[in-house]
Amino acid sequence: MEKNLNKNLFLQQFNESDAIAYNKDFTSGISDYNFQLLDNAYRNTGRVYAKLKLAIDSNRCQEETCAYELAEIKHLQEAPQLSLDFLSSLIAELSVTGDPNFDLNNDSKYTIANSIISAKPGFSKSDGYNVYLDLLQDGAQQIVFIGPAFEEPLVINNTALNALAESNTSLVAPTPDINKDMLRLLTEVGIFSPDMVGENGELTAGAKITEEYVIMNPDGTPDYEIIDIGNGKGRNILKYDLDKIEKKVTPFINAEVAGLLSSEQDAVAAWNVYISKGTSVEEDDQMAQNANAGDTSWSYTEDLPLMQDKKVLFEKKYKEYFMNNYLKQFTTNQLPTVQADAAVFDLAEAKKAKAQKFIDDNNL
Amino acid sequence: MAVSAIIGGVSSIAGGLFGSSAAKKAAAAAAREKRRLQGKLNRLEKNRQEVINPYEDVKSLSSMITNPFANLGVATGAAEIKIEEADISLANSLDTIRATGASAGGATALAQAALRSKKGVAASIEQQEKSNEDKAAAGEQQMQRAKMAEEQRIQSAEAAGKQFVFGATESREQGAIDRTYGELQAVSGAQAQAKADQTGAMTGMFGSLASIGGSLLKQ
Repeated sequence: MEKNLNKNLFLQQFNESDAIAYNKDFTSGISDYNFQLLDNAYRNTGRVYAKLKLAIDSNRCQEETCAYELAEIKHLQEAPQLSLDFLSSLIAELSVTGDPNFDLNNDSKYTIANSIISAKPGFSKSDGYNVYLDLLQDGAQQIVFIGPAFEEPLVINNTALNALAESNTSLVAPTPDINKDMLRLLTEVGIFSPDMVGENGELTAGAKITEEYVIMNPDGTPDYEIIDIGNGKGRNILKYDLDKIEKKVTPFINAEVAGLLSSEQDAVAAWNVYISKGTSVEEDDQMAQNANAGDTSWSYTEDLPLMQDKKVLFEKKYKEYFMNNYLKQFTTNQLPTVQADAAVFDLAEAKKAKAQKFIDDNNL
Repeated sequence: MAVSAIIGGVSSIAGGLFGSSAAKKAAAAAAREKRRLQGKLNRLEKNRQEVINPYEDVKSLSSMITNPFANLGVATGAAEIKIEEADISLANSLDTIRATGASAGGATALAQAALRSKKGVAASIEQQEKSNEDKAAAGEQQMQRAKMAEEQRIQSAEAAGKQFVFGATESREQGAIDRTYGELQAVSGAQAQAKADQTGAMTGMFGSLASIGGSLLKQ
C-alpha cells in the first residue's frame, strides 16, 4: 500500500514539475506518441469483414445457418461505436488521477495509464510505453497498457467498465470537494441568520453567529471575555455557548456525512485526503499537495464496503474537521456587536471596575 | 497533435473523444452529487427530531382554587356565654330582690331586660350569619373568576404550544429539507445537461466514424 502511495506521489510530482524540461536526454530525444489505437485495432477488420460477407453471399459459411458469420459481422458493425464509447469512458475515469485533490491511495496503474493517454512527457513509445485496443471474439473490447512503470500489463475490459458505471461506482475514486461542502454546510447548520449568506451561497465576510448562542449575564448584557492585547490594553470578546452550538449543528453534520457515505469510495477518498489526519486548511494550503493519510489511510481494496466502526469514526472525525477548520473561526476572537463595548480599554481600570461591580452586586 | 496520434483515426475523433469524456465525467459527478444529496435528504427526513411542545406539561391548577369563606362558622359560643351571663345576671338580681324584699314590678323589669339582652344576642347571630353568607357568595364569585382565569391560561398555553410546534417544524427541518431538495433538482438538471453534452460529442464523432466503418469494406 505504501509502495503504491509513493509511486502515485512520485508520478504526481513528476507530472506537475518542470524537471523533465531540464533533462537534456529528454529534450534532445524523440517523443513518439504515435500509439494509433484505432488504426491498429481496425487494421485487419476490413479483410475479416469482407471474408465473412463473401462466405454468407456464396453460401460457404461454417454452418448452414451462417450464425457464426452473422454474429461476427454484427460485432464488427457495432465495434466502432463501442470503441468510442469505451475510450471516452476510460479517459473520463483516468482523468480523475489528474484532479488537484486526487487520493494517492488509488491504484497507481491508473495514474500511469492517464499519463500515457494524455501524452505526458516521459510516457511515450520512445520511453518504452505502448497501448493497444483489442477487439475480442465475443464482441467485447479491451485496452492494454504496457511500459516500464507497470509491473504487469494493465488490462481493462469495456464490459467491466460498463458494469462499474452501471452500478454507480468507478475505477478511480474521485475525492469530494470537502472545502466547498463545508463552506456550504456552514450556511445550513442554523446558527447564522439567512441575511449572513451571500449570493454565492456562502457566508458573507462579516458573518457572525446569532446572539442566541452568545453567553449573556443575568441582566441580559453579553458576558464578555477580556483579552490582553498588549501595552496594558484590553478588548472585550464575545463568549459562545459551545455546547448549545454543538447540539444545534450535529444533526446537520450527520446528514452531510450520510450523504457522503452514499458513495463509500468517495468517503474513503475524503478520509484519506482530508479527514483522517485532521490537518488544518492552512496546513493543506501550505503543502505541495493535499495531506494524505499515510499509515491511517483506508484501502479501496481492503476496507470497502466500510464497516460500521469506520463509518462511526468517519462521522466523528468529519465533525471535528468541520468544527476546528470552519466553525472555530466564528467562535473565537469575535468583537462585540455593541459599538461601545468593542473599543480598546485600559486593562487595569477594567479589572478595577469589574471588581467593584462584583462587590456592588453581592453587597460586600 | 500528440493526443490525435494516441487515438488514431481522423483527428476529429480524438477531439470528440475528449469532449465526450469530459461530459461523461461531468455526468458521473452529477450522479454522485445526486446520490449524496439523496442520502442527506433521507437522513434529514428520517432523523427529523420531534419538536417538543414547551407548554405540554402546563396543568390546570383550578382544582386548587377553593372558597375560603364557604364554611365560615357563626360565633355562637360567645352568644351562648352572653345568654348565660344574662341568665346568671337575672338570677342574681332576682336573688337580691328576694333578699331585700323588693317589689314584683322590679322583677318583671329585670326579666324584660334579660329578654332584650337575649334578643340582642339572637340579632347578633343573625347578623353574623348574614355576613358569612355575603362573604361566601363573594368568595364563590372570586373563585369562579380565578377558575376561569386559570382555564384561560391553560387554553392560551395549549394554543401557544401548538403554534410553537408548527412554527418550529416549519422553520427548522423543513428549511434544510427544502434546500437539499432544491439542490437535488438542480443537480438532476446538471446531470441531464451533461448527458446531452455527451450525446452531442458522440454524435459529432460518429460523423467521423465513416472513415473507420468505410475502411472495413475498402481493405
